[in-house]
Amino acid sequence: MSTTAQDTDTPRAHCTVDADGRTTFRIALRSAGHPRLALVPRAKKNAPQQPTRLLDLEPHGDDGDLRAVLEPLPALAEGRWDAYLMRETDAVRERLRPGLRDLRALVDGNLRERPSPVAVRVPYATKDGFLAVRAWLRPAHAEAGRLDLADGAMTVHARLHGAEPSDGATALLRLRGDRDTTRSFPLRTDGSGFSFTAPFAELTGAAPGDQVWDVFLRPAADVPPVRIGRLLDDTADRKTVCVYPALTVGEAAARPYYTVDNDLAVEVTAVR
Amino acid sequence: MKISFLIHNAYGIGGTITTTFNLAAALAERHDVEIASVLRHREHPNLTPHPDVRLRPLVDLRREKDDPRHREPAKVFPAAEYRYHQYSELTDQRIAEYLESVEADVVVGTRPGLNVHLALQAPEHVARVGQEHLTLDNHPPRLRTALRRAYRHLDVLTTVTEADADSYRRKMRLPGVRVEALPNSVPDPVLPAADGTAKVIVAAGRLVPVKRYDLIIKAFARVAAAHPDWQLRIYGKGEEQPVLRRLIESLGLWNNVFLMGAATPMEAEWVKGSIGVAASNFEPFGMTIVEAMRCGLPVVSTDCPYGPGEIIKDGVDGRLVPVDDADALGEALLDLVRDDELRHRMGRAALDNARRYAPGPVVAQAERLAKEAVAARSTGRRPAPDGGRTLSGQGHAAADLALAAASEALRTLRKGRR
Repeated sequence: MSTTAQDTDTPRAHCTVDADGRTTFRIALRSAGHPRLALVPRAKKNAPQQPTRLLDLEPHGDDGDLRAVLEPLPALAEGRWDAYLMRETDAVRERLRPGLRDLRALVDGNLRERPSPVAVRVPYATKDGFLAVRAWLRPAHAEAGRLDLADGAMTVHARLHGAEPSDGATALLRLRGDRDTTRSFPLRTDGSGFSFTAPFAELTGAAPGDQVWDVFLRPAADVPPVRIGRLLDDTADRKTVCVYPALTVGEAAARPYYTVDNDLAVEVTAVR
Repeated sequence: MKISFLIHNAYGIGGTITTTFNLAAALAERHDVEIASVLRHREHPNLTPHPDVRLRPLVDLRREKDDPRHREPAKVFPAAEYRYHQYSELTDQRIAEYLESVEADVVVGTRPGLNVHLALQAPEHVARVGQEHLTLDNHPPRLRTALRRAYRHLDVLTTVTEADADSYRRKMRLPGVRVEALPNSVPDPVLPAADGTAKVIVAAGRLVPVKRYDLIIKAFARVAAAHPDWQLRIYGKGEEQPVLRRLIESLGLWNNVFLMGAATPMEAEWVKGSIGVAASNFEPFGMTIVEAMRCGLPVVSTDCPYGPGEIIKDGVDGRLVPVDDADALGEALLDLVRDDELRHRMGRAALDNARRYAPGPVVAQAERLAKEAVAARSTGRRPAPDGGRTLSGQGHAAADLALAAASEALRTLRKGRR
């Protein structure tokens, strides 16, 4: 749809993602040379720079389109990867515009069991209108589902992927900027997943001013905590889409939200 | 044929622009086509026209917005038109010059005020096709009066629905003008159709009160209560966003209802769903309903004036429910949520039935209308006036004049009080 009237002259890539993350890019381009699609990772603070991923663009079928396939393995490192077209081997990289992104296979991705490491990729349009891929790569991941807000507390339903919770597993809320300030809550088994209830009254007054608490699951006492977030569907940027109301607790308002990385957090602000 | 479209601003975003670009592109396969844009405010249009379609701006606001003539009010463009404030002596002048020198066999106007220019100023030998993307009954009486005077000089007037075409035939005396419904076309989808298995209901459009997204959310509450694994995704942005957000919170639907923001094109989003929903109080056409159906979704919609009832066949490729009835809307959605077989069958029917809105048939009709208009012009033969409807047309004309006078008087009174 809206193909007759194309938006701009810059090259545009359609893409389709399979349930296992295999991503097929398609570009309407005639080329006698050796065109490639480059996925370039954005630089991150305190992390080694990942190498650019180069994919061959090859003719496929007789529609004249070129295709490049990003196989599920090796997984992309966690972060944002910008998509570029290189028309020739030494050609300048041209940023690609997003075409149709067929992500329907990802919509119910939270229903599938994921082995370790949990690798997720969601192609998306950047704010300035270019094609990029959002990738997550974690040894284990706790996928948040239903979130209930009542009586000054949040109850989070979630499912652990890539690890098994032990009997001593707990939910952990950690004050951002102060790793030593934490609150623990017992887990309940809940079908194929778990749930826990965190009364917001326990989060207020831990520090002066407004605070943010990041939400984790600790599968066992002696293992590193696993982030609770929501990564397993077609939504690359959840922050403005999955929005929860604030609950008033004493002098403060507490509101769960998803961070720019789609991880669950709770912000506590003073009510003025 | 040489065809020239006259449009308000080809450089913006909107349904009329998309439809006009699509139609122009399809006609350019066999004809010489240009789009004249009264205004231009940026270098490139948001949609790039077909390479064979010439784009011709008449007033470039980047250079000419401070032209003294642009500060003087328009005299030809009717004062009661919705976009009157954007028109001026300068636009009057440029549109007149464009029409005077136009080399086209047929000029197609795309909004009421431009149709007036076309009707009054096109040279005698040029065929005149006026397009109405809104509806007669919703035009203010003063605009209806202006159009009644001008539209009799058109050769063809197209509306987007049969119901609106019927209003023009009954309420305006337009002897010799062919009035015909020409629906908006929706290009053939690129992606495979939805398979009806996703537990997702999709709505899309500008978030404005008339679209009644509040009603959709209330209706969906019934679905979520019985089927908590289903979600409602609302695409679009607009002034209602915060109101809808509060409604979602007050109904406790934050796990099931999502305000997705704007998505263009919508195709990749429609195919993630298995039911489309619309709840407008008023809808001149219903482009999103056709888009959803072309992607294989049955659509549940209110049976509001005018479009939905002409697009959806109730019980076959979707459902029509009364306006402003959350219970009926919720029940119709539940019927489709509960019954996989019904949903799949209606989805397939929607895919088949919506093909009549493919560019093929719509463009063929537009081409026929343009040819007939050209033929009528060149032979000087215009169909005989339709005497039987004169009286009723005059009745409506008198009523509009009275209404216009009344609203004028009211305005004067209000001014006096200030």
